[in-house]
Amino acid sequence: MTRTQARALRPHRALTGGLILALALGWAAMARADVPESVQKHILPGYAAFSAATQELAEKAADDCSPAALQPAFHAAFDAWIAVAHLRLGPVEEDGRALAIAFWPDPKGAGARTLARLIADADPVATDPAAFADVSVAGRGLTTLERLLHDPALTGGYACTLTRAVAADLARMAAEVDIGWQGGFAELMLTAGQPGNTRYLTTAEARQALFTQLITGLNFTADQRLGRPLGTFDRPRPERAEARLSGRSLRNVALSLAALESLAVTLHPDSPATIAAFAKARALATALADPVLAGVATPGGRLKVEILQQAIQAVRAAAEAEIGPRLGVSLGFNAADGD
Amino acid sequence: MATRRHILAGLLATTLPRLGWADAGNPAYLAAAQGAGGGFDLHGLNAAGASLFAIPLPARGHAATAHPTRPEAVAFARRPGIYALVIHCVTGQVQARLTPPAGRQFNGHGCFSQDGAVLYTSEVVAETSEGRIGLWDAARGYARMGEWASGGIGPHDLRRLPGRDVLVVANGGIQTDPDDRTKLNIATMRPNLCYLTPEGAVQDQVELAAEYYQNSIRHLALGPDGAVAFALQWEGDPADPVPLLGLHRMGTSARLCPAPEAEAYAMQGYAGSIAFDASGGLIGLTSPKGGVVQIFGAEGAFIATHSRPDACGIAAADAAGFIVTDGGGTVSHLTDSGFAPLCRGAAAWDNHLVPLAT
Repeated sequence: MTRTQARALRPHRALTGGLILALALGWAAMARADVPESVQKHILPGYAAFSAATQELAEKAADDCSPAALQPAFHAAFDAWIAVAHLRLGPVEEDGRALAIAFWPDPKGAGARTLARLIADADPVATDPAAFADVSVAGRGLTTLERLLHDPALTGGYACTLTRAVAADLARMAAEVDIGWQGGFAELMLTAGQPGNTRYLTTAEARQALFTQLITGLNFTADQRLGRPLGTFDRPRPERAEARLSGRSLRNVALSLAALESLAVTLHPDSPATIAAFAKARALATALADPVLAGVATPGGRLKVEILQQAIQAVRAAAEAEIGPRLGVSLGFNAADGD
Repeated sequence: MATRRHILAGLLATTLPRLGWADAGNPAYLAAAQGAGGGFDLHGLNAAGASLFAIPLPARGHAATAHPTRPEAVAFARRPGIYALVIHCVTGQVQARLTPPAGRQFNGHGCFSQDGAVLYTSEVVAETSEGRIGLWDAARGYARMGEWASGGIGPHDLRRLPGRDVLVVANGGIQTDPDDRTKLNIATMRPNLCYLTPEGAVQDQVELAAEYYQNSIRHLALGPDGAVAFALQWEGDPADPVPLLGLHRMGTSARLCPAPEAEAYAMQGYAGSIAFDASGGLIGLTSPKGGVVQIFGAEGAFIATHSRPDACGIAAADAAGFIVTDGGGTVSHLTDSGFAPLCRGAAAWDNHLVPLAT
């Protein structure tokens, strides 16, 4: 067993108490195993792995802050984030954590601006972990770390200090999210509809919350991860691709599809049309061979990215037609109305 | 309740006692909803959120308004609206069915004049989305009396300022396809807040700063001393966390009230409904898209974000805090300590919870 795996497993023991309570409160009596399956097999292991990967990254940074030494751990942490990045509920939404963990898209360049200011001032905030937690969400997390590790102009003693601060701050947030789920939010989802649970008043609300994550996650990958670099036919914007500096734009698309499929099948395993649509989209992503989606600037490359985008939209349509009705939920009555 | 209504309907047909809101159970709020069977109703709710009556609507509703003295509610269709129903809330009977004149569409909101003699409705010229305020004679069977220009494109909410007959109109700025709500002018939209005199003339009109021209002014709440709070829907880049709350007083410039960086994305660029609390010291702003309600001070200082899936309708609770309705069918009480469910009524509460003036 590797060190990372050992770390990833540790939180499960801490979880046992929470699960026993959840069982006592009636989880076992629920008619379907849908939400518990997603919480147990998708969400909790995902956050545990993300926490472990960022812990590893922070420890490595403390040992050696050079980009060459840190890039593998950076990629592992980013991979682990994409496995849970579509989950925008609970602890990750508190204190702006999701934004700070990966501040993208950033149409006004706030990330680069914040980083430039920190470096220009050699801001001592980088040596104070508590104060660093209050730095703008644009100047923390994976996107800032990406710049520090992949922009050759950013070297020297302060860049090293900042790299360590950002990595430690990232590990702190990942641990808080992991603990937040284990220490309460998982129970809220698992005990939906039970007396005293004012967050999820019915099992349908918990189901709808997770179904919404699936649909908005698919939208984000199609509209933002692919849509931003696609821009318009007259004005493609390859420079807007996510994680372009570290060469992982397409990788994030592929990993997000895998993560969303994991959520879909835990939520509702018997979903053949959705699973087939995922398989098609994932095959297109694999075949694309355009790591930073630079092809959007050429007619042929653009067409391939558009075909992938349409395939992801088809996954969404399949999930809405197949999984939503079987779970007895749809997107919000008012959220979808838009007026 | 149907029996009681039936008896009252019979009574009304023979003798004509002057009925007031007390005869309808003194509802504190009106709200449109979808029922368990898929049909649509207008509900009257008491202060604790329980439904006092449910009167069927022909299609999905949006908002409503209440006559100041008579137990009459006007239920407005979802935009683009082809109907507004004047409903007698004691008998449950439709007293008048309002149909916009040829080439006009209702836009979901309306209000009464101070004396209850005139109903004002937000409308658009269907082909161009130019705003109109429709005037209906509430004293004579809701006959169409005429119309005014609303002062902009795509008006949505409109309110009468307290204690006088000045209307404030949220001209959202968005031109839409008359058939399917497709937005046609996002690149050039120019929302404004417009005040109209009792004669329909523009008394004041404010626009937002140039960088916010894509921030559609859509819903309104009236605070103490002529304060108008407005809720915005951002049509620009969703990654741009713009303010969604604005404050204005006639004769001054509008002020936008940003949430702190870490909270600014929670609303997902969309405020669905807005209300002051009973003290006038707090403003609640709902986002069904974000599944949150944000609370601000009356001067626009951010206070808190509270989570509730598909929360949209909001109005002052009679004591502290707010009553919030959501698309999952729950009526909740929102205070400093968060949401407390009051009751589950309809299958899905629609966009707005409309308080009755007390």
